[in-house]
Order: sequence, then structure tokens, then C-alpha cells
Amino acid sequence: MTTLRQQLERLRETDDLVPVAERVHWDATAASVAAEATRHNCPATLFEDTPGEVRLASGVFGGPDQFTSLDRHPWQRTAQALGFDPDCSYETVVERLASRTTAPTEGSPDGEPDATPLENVDLYGLGLPTSDDGSPLVSLGVLAATRDGVTTWVPIRGVALRNATLRLVVPQVAADWLGPQADASVVLGVGAVPLVAALQGWTQDRITPDVPGLTAGIGDVSMATVDSRTVPSSADVRIDGGMTVDRTAPEPSGPKAAWERSCETAVIDMSVDRIATREEPVVAFTPLGEPLTDDLHLVSLVEAAQLFRRVNSYWGVSPVEWIRLPVESRLGLCIVSSEILYAGFEWQLANTLFSFSKLFDKVLVLDENADPTNLARSIDDMWVKAHPGNDWIFSEPNAPSATAPRYRQDGETGSRLYINATWDPHWDEEYIAPQVTFETSFSENVKEALEERWEELGLDELVESNDR
Amino acid sequence: MTAGSLRQYLQTLETRKDLHRISEPVSWNLEASAVTMLANTEDSRIPLFEDVDGARLVGDPYRGSQRRPWDRIALGLGLPSDLSYEEYYEMVIERLNDPKPPTTVGTEDAPCKDVVETGDDVDLLDFPWPYIHAGDGGRYSNLHTLIAPDLDSEWVDWSYHRSMIHDGETASVLLLAGEQTPNLYYYKYEQHDEPMPVAIAIGVEPAVQYTSVMWIPTGRNEAEFAGGLKGEPIELVECETNDLRVPATAELVIEGEIVPNERRDEGPFGDYFGYVHGPRRSMPLLRVTGITHQQDPIIPFCVEGTGVGYTENTTSSMEVGCVGPDATLGLRTAGFDVECCAPWKSTPRTVYTIATPSNDDGYLHELANFIFTTWGMLHVDFFIFVDADVDPLDQRQVLEALALHADPDEDFHQFGVETMPKVPLNIYQTPTEKGDVQTGTSKAKTAKAYIDATSDGDGTRDDDVEIEYRAQEILESAGVDPEKLPFVDPGEGGR
Repeated sequence: MTTLRQQLERLRETDDLVPVAERVHWDATAASVAAEATRHNCPATLFEDTPGEVRLASGVFGGPDQFTSLDRHPWQRTAQALGFDPDCSYETVVERLASRTTAPTEGSPDGEPDATPLENVDLYGLGLPTSDDGSPLVSLGVLAATRDGVTTWVPIRGVALRNATLRLVVPQVAADWLGPQADASVVLGVGAVPLVAALQGWTQDRITPDVPGLTAGIGDVSMATVDSRTVPSSADVRIDGGMTVDRTAPEPSGPKAAWERSCETAVIDMSVDRIATREEPVVAFTPLGEPLTDDLHLVSLVEAAQLFRRVNSYWGVSPVEWIRLPVESRLGLCIVSSEILYAGFEWQLANTLFSFSKLFDKVLVLDENADPTNLARSIDDMWVKAHPGNDWIFSEPNAPSATAPRYRQDGETGSRLYINATWDPHWDEEYIAPQVTFETSFSENVKEALEERWEELGLDELVESNDR
Repeated sequence: MTAGSLRQYLQTLETRKDLHRISEPVSWNLEASAVTMLANTEDSRIPLFEDVDGARLVGDPYRGSQRRPWDRIALGLGLPSDLSYEEYYEMVIERLNDPKPPTTVGTEDAPCKDVVETGDDVDLLDFPWPYIHAGDGGRYSNLHTLIAPDLDSEWVDWSYHRSMIHDGETASVLLLAGEQTPNLYYYKYEQHDEPMPVAIAIGVEPAVQYTSVMWIPTGRNEAEFAGGLKGEPIELVECETNDLRVPATAELVIEGEIVPNERRDEGPFGDYFGYVHGPRRSMPLLRVTGITHQQDPIIPFCVEGTGVGYTENTTSSMEVGCVGPDATLGLRTAGFDVECCAPWKSTPRTVYTIATPSNDDGYLHELANFIFTTWGMLHVDFFIFVDADVDPLDQRQVLEALALHADPDEDFHQFGVETMPKVPLNIYQTPTEKGDVQTGTSKAKTAKAYIDATSDGDGTRDDDVEIEYRAQEILESAGVDPEKLPFVDPGEGGR
């Protein structure tokens, strides 16, 4: 089981959480501190003293910019929050998410939710961080609602319009599935598993309303029932009420969440009847629109897992080693490492990826031995291995616009680009330039001699002298 | 204090506990470079090998840290250790704008004349030139200053061309037409069938080493710019066997001539972009006429190919710390409104990022055209233009700009597909395409491209620096390492 509180505890234990004891207001100050922390690769941040009902946490599912470190990876905090081994490989994270296993939740939703109703607290009293226009923000949570006895959890982004009204963006297909009106709960302060499962259920190629089932397939999340709806029992905050799809309402103010760029969206309003919290509640949020935010990390992994599953099930063989949508590129670039099955396969692969995702219009194709943990070398190969004229391939200009980039947001068509940084399959073996590495640059004799002389050359002292 | 010699620089490193002395005998045959590669990869101290066949080697002495590649270069210039990259660039530019003429000293005051060997006494093989990677074509001197005079004027060029040792008296020198010294050789000396007198100064003082990798305009006195960087005149001394003057504090000086119409094998070599490029090719022949050196000379070398990805070496750090400020100054001098021009941090030379307040299409084309036809002609394949508030040395920011703002429809500009010159030091051309051309460039032409990743005002941040500063203060108070935070204060220009 991996709850938000457990994740915070693990971050604390690994010195990857910085508690802010100073009183920080939930007005734009909290969001600006969170934005600076994520932008500059700081630890996750827990605001211990805010004027509202809840404490705030940010960066709990995100991670550092991978250019800054070979040893720390952007997906580590997410993997930990999903209950995976935090040191597991990138491929393991993606393969596990790609499996999209649904597990039965029967029997588990019988428990009581940990949050209990509060009196005399409204949406503003919760103390959620606010956007530039002063509206309290909802960023990392899900909407729980039921149709025909099936509970679903839906990704949300929105604001509190008034004391008792939320305006939320949800995936269009989810709004269609739920119908014009339904009883619903918004749950905040949840772990990563329900957030990821909601993205998998509603923003991908396959729609799976049984998001609690997807959640159970990823990890062990205890569930409870509220007014016939299944909710994560450990959620720190639950807002119960009724939702109405409003097809004429403007979108909530503020930057979009990353998932909104991967699917069509609809706007719903939710009238609030009841707010329930746990003792000393904590709500995770992310400063939307900033670099390296948690929502980017979650969508990056979910989209990569979807693409990995689809391309490796498409041609009867599984040539792709890994796929990444680097959070550093804000999902505007896709990197794929693959065996090149035949001349022209790289074209086929890149254009298949364009077909399967609307997020990006740039694909970098690397050889199958590329290392997913070495983003710097991957991008280096783009510059030095691909011929600047022949291997930067632009499509004719009638491709749909991608959603992650900031240009052509009016939907105007244009070109796509893929960069082929693989070795030409026509080349003789002798043309292939070996990489300069310790392994390739020195004979076994030299390496063995170095090992034998390690102590007398003081190499322990040398390699351990890195304090920079 | 600016270091006046390599020895003084190494002493400064040692004072800062940043030098690792290895007194046990170490072989020049891959062993010294293996240890250096290890140090580079681990971002640790600089290794000084004190017993290598009776001489000394130092591996990648100017390598900076992965996060701040300019650190040790700044140390060599006596600059503060905590400068932001903007402050560092501006301070180097300020010094380059204040050149100081060199002085000439007598032999008795020149440490590089401790030992003088000419005629039959000359033997290159007396020194432990390192064999750097298994698969290299030979042993190299690859961290030095090549000094060569113009045939028709008083101008003397200082540059940085690696040399592969062949025997006691000869070496092949990597001269790629299009660069200044190679052009002097191929299009002046060789066409007149005259040998080009040269000196290779090895283990020079930091300011001289840094100047050697900069593109100083033709006709300008490079020693003056080195003096500017140093903050005081560079001391030169006359050679024994030709009329050139060399830095007096050099550890070792090879005097000789690059003879016309003679070639020797050069390469393959594990090169700056992280791959071993081939094939072996023919390069001009250096015939040695004299060697002078200090007692117990220290020969610096660079483990090329390690300055990529997350690892720095001397070449990659000098690209950021020397070429970047020099290029920024050059573009400003040419009239372009440039905030900063810096290399892509994890692969030197192939890609540069230019932060500029203008995103006018014609202006960017003109800027790219200017660079591609001057100093960026042979090695640089790409320029990326970003907004003035983007840090060109922050790869995350540049990749984001590339992904979000460079429209494949209109922001990628190629100067033709097969129209432009290229050095054979690349891995995307076949050996046949590279050929073995007399002037060193590839036989097949290639393309250059620039990418307009400026925002056009779409989706750029509306920074409130005061709010950011306050937010960073809160994080620092909470215990965040202040090194992670830039603390840019509009009133003070940084902390």
C-alpha cells in the first residue's frame, strides 16, 4: 500500500523532503515556492504551517531534471510512490504500467474512509494553494462517481469558484460516460496509484471506467465506500457533492494540467455538500505550467507505457527497447530506442508514434543499445550521430498539430520531424564508430593492472574525492 | 591571483586539495589515461603522475565540474570560485576587452630554457607522450599551443592542433583547412613550397592555453589577448632554431617546421564527440629542429571523448569556459545583440546555443550565416536560438525551448543538404564520403542547420523576480542547499 503519507515518510527517510516550518500563505506564495523547488531540482517540499485547514506538499511524485545527474532519475519518486522498488529500472516502471492489469476490488471497498466530515469549513477554509486570480487550485486529485453500479475515478484540474462550488476540467469521454449529472466526490491527498490509474482509464487509447480495478492492478490501495462510491480510504481530503456537466461554461482559470493535452476535455461544476478530512490533513499539489511538475512526470510515464505497449504489439515482434517522453522537454519530444529491423524501419517507427500520440511532433530514434538513464548521451547522439541534412526528416506540412508545443495551438496543420540517430543498416561493420568508454578504451590487461595497483595509486582516495 | 605557469596553477589546485599526486611509476601506455578517465567520470581531483618514464604527466588539468564546467578555468585566471556563468562570462569578456602587449625576456629568465636540445640531441621519444585510447593511431600531444607565423605579415597565430608522435624527430599534425593555422599552411606555405616554422608550447600558463582555443581575429596579436586574460603581459622568449617567440613559462617547447607536400598517418582517435572516428588519414608532417624544456617537465594531456554526457574533460570545459565567452564577445563586436553564446554542455563543438532578445527571422538567419561562414564553419553543425532569458548552459531549458517553440514547419533552417564543408572528425559520414583529402576536410560536403527556438511570445514565463527571490529564501531557510538556487536579484544582478 502506498499512500501520500507513506510517500512523504519515505521521502523524509531518504532526505528527499524538505519541511518548510516557516508560515507560508496558501495564496500565490505556496505555489511560487513549489515552482522554485521543482525548477531547481530541490527535494519535495512539505509546507508545515499554512493558514488553512490542510498542509500542502509539492514535488512528491516528481523528480530532478535528468541533465543534472546521472545518478538520480526523474521517475524515482514516482516509482517509489507507486510502490515499486525506487531503484528499479526505467524499463521496469514502464513495462509494469504498460501491462494495464485490472484486479478485482470486490470486498475491499467495505472499509470506512479515513476522512471524517468537518463542520464550518468551506472550500476557501481548506487553504488550497491559489492561482494568480486568487482561486483555490485543485491539481493532483481524482473525481469519484458511479454509473450503473460501477465507480470510476477521473483525472481533474480546476478551481474553487465560490465557497461551495468547484469548476473542474475532466476528460470528455469521462463526462460523456458519467452523463449530465451525478453524485460525486473529489478526493485530494491521495497517492500516485489512483492518479496514474485515472490517467490510464480515461486519457489513453483504451477507455477503462473501472479505474479502482486498474488501481488495484498497479498496487495495493485500500478502498472505502461513500454514498455507494468507491474512494481511496486513505485520502486526506474528500469533497462530496453533485456534479453537472456544463457544456457552455468556460474552462477554469490557470494553466492546463499535462493530461489535458493528451485528450479532449469537458467542464463540469460540482456543488459541494460536505467536506471531510483526516487529522492534520495533507494535500499534494503541483504548480501547473512550470517545468518538471508532478503532473508532467505522471503523464510522461503513462504515455510512454501506452506507446511501448502499442508499438511492441503492432508488428508481431517487439523491437522497441524503451520509449521516453522526457519531462525536461515538457512532453514535446519522444525518444525511442529500438532495433532497426530493416532500412526505413525508423521512418515507420517514428510515424507510428506520431499516430499513437497527439502530444509531440518530434521523435528521436536511437539504436537499441541506448541507455534510458543517460538523457545527456541520448541528446548528444541527436547532435553528433545524425547527419544534419539527411537524418533530420520533415514530413509534408499537412500533419495535425501536436498539443504539447506552444505553436499552432489553433489546430493549423504543419510538419512533423523525426531525427534518425541510428547506424545506417547499409553500413559495413567497420564504419560503425565505437563509443569512447572505459570498457572500450582500455584492454583487459590495462584494466586488470589498474585493479591490482588500485591501492598503491591511491585510487580510492581519488574517486572518493568528489565533493563538488 | 592569476596563475603565471602550469606549475603555479597545479600548486593552487593542491592548496585547495584538488590535486591527486601519484608518485608510483605509471605507464604512458594507456595507464595514465585510464586513471584520468576514471577521475573525469567521477568528477574528482586532477591526477598528477609524477613518475612516467622520468617525466611527469597531468591528466585533464582544466576539467571543470559537471555542474560548473568553468570552475577550474576561472581558478587559473584568479577569478572568484562562486561566479554564476553570467558573471564569469562577463568577467572574461571584460578581460578580453583589455588586451596587454607581451614582453620578451632573455633565455636566462625563461624556465622553458632549462634544457636546450638541438641538432642530433633532439629526440621526441625522450618524453612520455601518452597513448590515450586503445585503438588510437598512436601517441599524442593534445593539450598545447601551436604557434605559427603568417607568411606575408607579422601576425602569429596561436592554436590547438593535436599531434601524433611518429618517431624521435617527426609527428603528424591535424591541420583541417578552414581554420587559421591550417589555412596558412595549405594556402600560403605549401603553395610556395616553403616549410612553415612552428613551435608547439606544451604545459603553458593557463591564460595562454585558454587563448589557444579561442577564435582570435586574423591579424590580432594572440599574446595580447592572453595578457588581457592574465591581467598582465605574457612573457615570451625567442626560439632556438627559428624566429618565433614562445611563452617563457612553458614546460616544454618543440621547435620545428611543417614541411610542404609531405604527409604522415594520423588517427584514428577517440575524439571530442565521444566516439572513435576513423579511418586513419594523412596529415602534414612536422619535422622537429629543437626541444627546450624545464627541469622535470610536466606534460598535460586530455582524454578526449570523455567530455560528453555527464562527464567533463579539459576540452569540453574550455569550450564552455573559453570559447563561449570569446564567441559571445565576437558576436557582440560584429554588431549582434547577443546575451550569451555557449556550447551544448554535454557535447563540445557540434552545437551552440545563442540567447538573444531578437526573434526576427532575417536577423537570426544573418546571425547564423555569419557564424557558419566564420568560426563555426567546420566543427559546428547546429545553432539553437533561444530567448534572452533562457540559460544556454541549462540543457533542460534549451531542450524545453526546442521541444515547445521550434516548429518543424518553419523554425528549422538547413543551409542545403550537401553544400557545406565539414571536418572528417565526424561519425555520420562514411570513410568514402570523408575520403583522404589533401587539405584535411571531408571530401563530401554536408549540411548546417539553425533552429529558431525563441518563443515568439507564446507561453513564455512572466517572471516576477522578487517573488522568485522570496520563494528561494524560504527554501533556503528550510534547509535547501543554496547552491541549487540562483538567487537572481534584479537590484544586485545575482548573489
